[in-house]
Formats: sequence, structure tokens, C-alpha cells
Amino acid sequence: MAGAHSTLAKRLIVLWTVAIIGFLYIPMVSVVLASFSRKRYFSFPINAWDTKWYEKAFQSLSVRELLTTSLNVAVLVTIFSVFLAFLGALAFARYDWKGRKLFQKVVLLPIFFPQAVLGLALLLWFSALGITTSWQTAVFAHMIWIVPIVTLIISIQVYSFDPALEEAAFDLGASRWQVLREVTLPILSPGLVSGSVFAFLLSWGNFPLSLFTTGADQTVPEWLYAKMVSGYTPMVPTLGSLTMGGAVLVVFGVYLMFMLRKWRRGGKDAGPAVESESGA
Amino acid sequence: MSEVGAKPILQLRKICKKFGDFTAVNNINLEIGAGEFFTIVGPSGSGKTTLIRLLVGMDQPTDGDILLRDKRLNDVPANQRPTCMVFQSLALFPHKTVGENIEFSMKISGVDGAARKERANELMKQLRLPLEYYSKNVNQCSGGERQRIALARALAFDPQILFFDEPLASLDFRLRKTLEKELKDIHRETGKTFVYITHSLEEAMVMSDRIGIMRRGSIVQVGTPHEIYNRPRNKFVAQFMGEVNTLEVRRSGEASVCSTGDGQQFQVAGIPAEFQSGHLIIRPEAVKIGEAAQGLENTVRGKLFNSYSLGSRLQYQVRSTSGDSPWLVEMLQDEPYTGELDDEVVIGWRKEDSILVSD
Repeated sequence: MAGAHSTLAKRLIVLWTVAIIGFLYIPMVSVVLASFSRKRYFSFPINAWDTKWYEKAFQSLSVRELLTTSLNVAVLVTIFSVFLAFLGALAFARYDWKGRKLFQKVVLLPIFFPQAVLGLALLLWFSALGITTSWQTAVFAHMIWIVPIVTLIISIQVYSFDPALEEAAFDLGASRWQVLREVTLPILSPGLVSGSVFAFLLSWGNFPLSLFTTGADQTVPEWLYAKMVSGYTPMVPTLGSLTMGGAVLVVFGVYLMFMLRKWRRGGKDAGPAVESESGA
Repeated sequence: MSEVGAKPILQLRKICKKFGDFTAVNNINLEIGAGEFFTIVGPSGSGKTTLIRLLVGMDQPTDGDILLRDKRLNDVPANQRPTCMVFQSLALFPHKTVGENIEFSMKISGVDGAARKERANELMKQLRLPLEYYSKNVNQCSGGERQRIALARALAFDPQILFFDEPLASLDFRLRKTLEKELKDIHRETGKTFVYITHSLEEAMVMSDRIGIMRRGSIVQVGTPHEIYNRPRNKFVAQFMGEVNTLEVRRSGEASVCSTGDGQQFQVAGIPAEFQSGHLIIRPEAVKIGEAAQGLENTVRGKLFNSYSLGSRLQYQVRSTSGDSPWLVEMLQDEPYTGELDDEVVIGWRKEDSILVSD
């Protein structure tokens, strides 16, 4: 009876999992499908398949400009936020200092603000300071929301890092800089990489903050929104699919990198650990 | 009595360390000889870890001086001190191989690859680490191997003093015993000064040339294992070694006799002039039971309450008729007391085995 019971349970788990994956991905698949449709308006099933929108997208200068703007913003946000978050995470999770508890709360707060409000606040602030908004100001705006998230991600890695490792390196004659290069950075690198991926993708796909702070410049999500509101063409799902594709590429690229590293490290090993002393 | 044999390599002068109102290390004066194996023993919270962190340079003393070969070390940061520590957690770099761990200090100081590898292999041989472990990840090594790697990494630094922060604490009993002896062998082979901290006096006894007993931030006694064992300075040191028989006693009218509150009198080899009251300590292995106790200077009557096997020895618990706390008697396994439980027995010890301590 127990066997039959557990078989049923297993089937239900499989069904549940498939349902969730379907729920998550079917809408996105439909966007991808729409991008391959010849018709101007999306209907299902698709009768006429076509890749002309992709050809157009790759030839279009304005699309190239959109992608470049989004990429510039995302890359700069990634670099700056990982750098700031790395220092912040050490302050957040490693060192005990007066005001640390307050810092931990304050630094995380922007994550919980509605992004549209944050965007509006920044826009008002920029104009009060006489700063013309452009993609550069958007970099700053994205960072206000993304740095706390990346700080949190890197902090997790810092928490599991034994400070004695740094002390040991220092004790063995390493300078502060050598400790950072030889011990701290390599050990925290998984956290730094995950932090970078999050920073890049959150910036790459961000709409509400960009909407208020890019000024005359336009990122891909902004353009998608504008075109959906007025002037829909199948270029919308095409570009949408391309941005999703970019995100998937980044995630899988990093995953592959981790696997490769793990495999290479595994190759160095002489074999499983043997408790040779226990027999001594 | 417990003077440094060789010229002192390390001198501590009135070392204090305070954290706010709390004094972790209180006015420690100590000299450690070159080539000595010196162990600082104390219960947890006695300040021994704080002390070793001051000696290594991870922390600065609030007061006092640390001298290495007569040079003041206080303000020299850890990475510029010619000393090195084996950490309690070992602190092996998890992202590096066994070889890279051992070679770390040499890489930092710019030794070229071939020379580094040669030295690493030498150390691996000395510490009985298989050479094929050179390119193995440290996370895949066993507890004992990791100890040896940490020691090799520290020795590769060629320190003038090697500090140990209780590195064997996490190991199982048998492995710990093996490594204690190995460590003493390595101390002999290298001729370096070892300063070791532990909470186990037994461990300290096995390895050390001299032992310093620490309590509440102060060193209460320094001596060879023999001195610590046979002439503990106070009740704390005596009891720290293990189970002992303790009686509260006072000086009596006679020269080598002390008496308890209820009038029992015990003979001792001699009472120091300044002694007024304190404790009489008798080690369980000095106490005889039954016929073996006949004719000894000190005897107590009681009832055999229970017996326990301690491996090589047997321990008996005797409840005296005068109602003190139970007496402990230890005999070798091959010369046991042959009577029954609840027997009326006599226990006794020689006056030379009476240890008088002042508090």
C-alpha cells in the first residue's frame, strides 16, 4: 500500500513541477512565437512563420542603439555595484562596528521602495540639482536599487568565510593587498560572480527606474513599453525575445563557467580522502 | 626552580589586555627559552587565546612589552614578525591545493616555483604526507592530514617561534594522541621554539618542556611537567590535572602534622614556614587500600562504596567513617583490591605524598 501511495505522491510532484514550469514559461514562449509570425498582429496558432523581423532588428540602427544603451547601462551598473557591494558586504557581514545594525537595515531599505516612486524621486532630485537626465543618470538610479541587492548576495558568501583565513595569510607574511588578491577575492569569487549576474540582469531588464531617469536616451524595456502603448509591430516580441535570450545566455554562460571550474578542480585531486591515521 | 634553561627568545613583561572593563590578560611576566616547547594551559575563558593573539601580533597589548631576542615587538604587525601560528581551525586555504598551501609564504616572499616545490616536498616527506597529495585539494584531506599540512605551511615560513592555538582540539582521542607525539618529535627534529596553548593539561604534559598554567588572565604557575604534577602551587593547579583528594587543613602544633576542622591529623613531609591554612592534596594513585595501606603514616577508615575501571588502572571510591567527601584510590589493573563492595577498609598514604597548597 505504501508503495502505491508513494508512486501517487511522486506523480503528483511531477505534475505539480510541470505545471509550475508551464505557468512560468508559456507566456514567454508565446512572445518568442509571436516574434516568428509573419502577421502584424499576434494570433494563435501561427499559420505563417517568418524570420524577417529578426533580420530587420539586426539591420536597424535604432535597435542597435537601444541595445547599446541597455548594455552600457547594465555593464556600468554591474561594475560599480559589485565594487560598492563588495566593500559594503564586508562592512555588513564581517566587521563589528558601531552603527552596523543600523547600516544593515538602512542599506536594504531601497529594495522595498516602489521603483516608480524611487525613479520619480530621483528625477525630481536631478532636476533640482540641474542635472540633465541621460543614460548616465540611469546608471546611478539603477545602482540605488541594485547595490543593496548585490550587497545582500555577497554578504551571504562573506558570512561563510572564516576570517582566520585572512589572519593566517597575514601571519604568513602577506601584505593587506596580497591577502586580498590571494585569499579574500578568490574565496569570495562565487559571491562576486552571482552578484555580477544579478546586477547585470536586474539592470538589463529594468523599466520603472529607466523610465524616469534616462531622459532622451532609451533602453530596450522602455522602447518595448512605448511601442506596446502605441505603434505595436512584431519588432516588439522580436526585441523582447532578444533581450530574454541575452539574459539566458548570461545565466548559462556563468553556469558553464562554474561547472568548468569545478571540473578542473576535480581533475587536480588524487582521489577521495583516506583516513590513513586511523589505522596507524 | 623553573628558570629558562637556554637564553630566552621571548620575554613578556607586565602584559595586560583589556576589552573595555574586562581584563582578559592580567600582568603576565614570562620568559620562554630558545628551542623550548612551552605550553600555556588553562580552562576556556582563562585568556590563553587572547594571550597568544598578542604574541602573534593579531592584537596589541593594552600594557606591557613583548620582546623577541631583546627587540620590542609590540608595534610590529603580524606579517612582519618572524613568528607564525597554526590556527585552531587550521585556516587552510580552501581554494588552494596542498602544495599551494604549503608554499604560500614562499610565494609571498618571491621564492621561485622550482625552489618552492622542492621545499614543499621536503616538508611533506618530513611530515609523512604522501607526495602525490601535492596537487590534491585540501578539502579532500582527512583531519590528520590537514593538521600536517597546516604544520608544513607554518614550517615553510621558517619562523623563529611557532605558535599553536589548540589545533588538535577537534580530533578524536586516538588521532590526537598520535599527533601529540609526532609534534614533539617534530619539535626535536626542527629545534624550533614551540609555544602551544591548550585546555588539556594531559596534552601539555605529553609534549612540553615547561608548562604555564593560566587562570582568569594570570599565570598561576610555571614549571616542568614534573614540577606541576608533584608540586602544584595551589588547589586550582592540583585539581586541573585531574581527580584528586582534597581536604581543608590548618597548621597544627606539631612540626610535620596538619589537622582538619574535625580534628583528624595527617602527616606531611614538611610544612612551609608561611603556611597557616589551605588544602591537603593527595593524588588517587598515591593512596593505597587494604593490606597495602598497612604501616603507612596516614590512614583513614571507611567503607568501599564502588569501583571503576579506568583502563590501565582501577579506581575505588571509599566513604570514610568521618563523613568527608568520598576518597578516591587508584591501583594498577594487575594488583587490584580483592575484597567486596561495602567492606570496611583502611586506606593510607605516605607522608611524602601529602601535598600542601596554600589556597
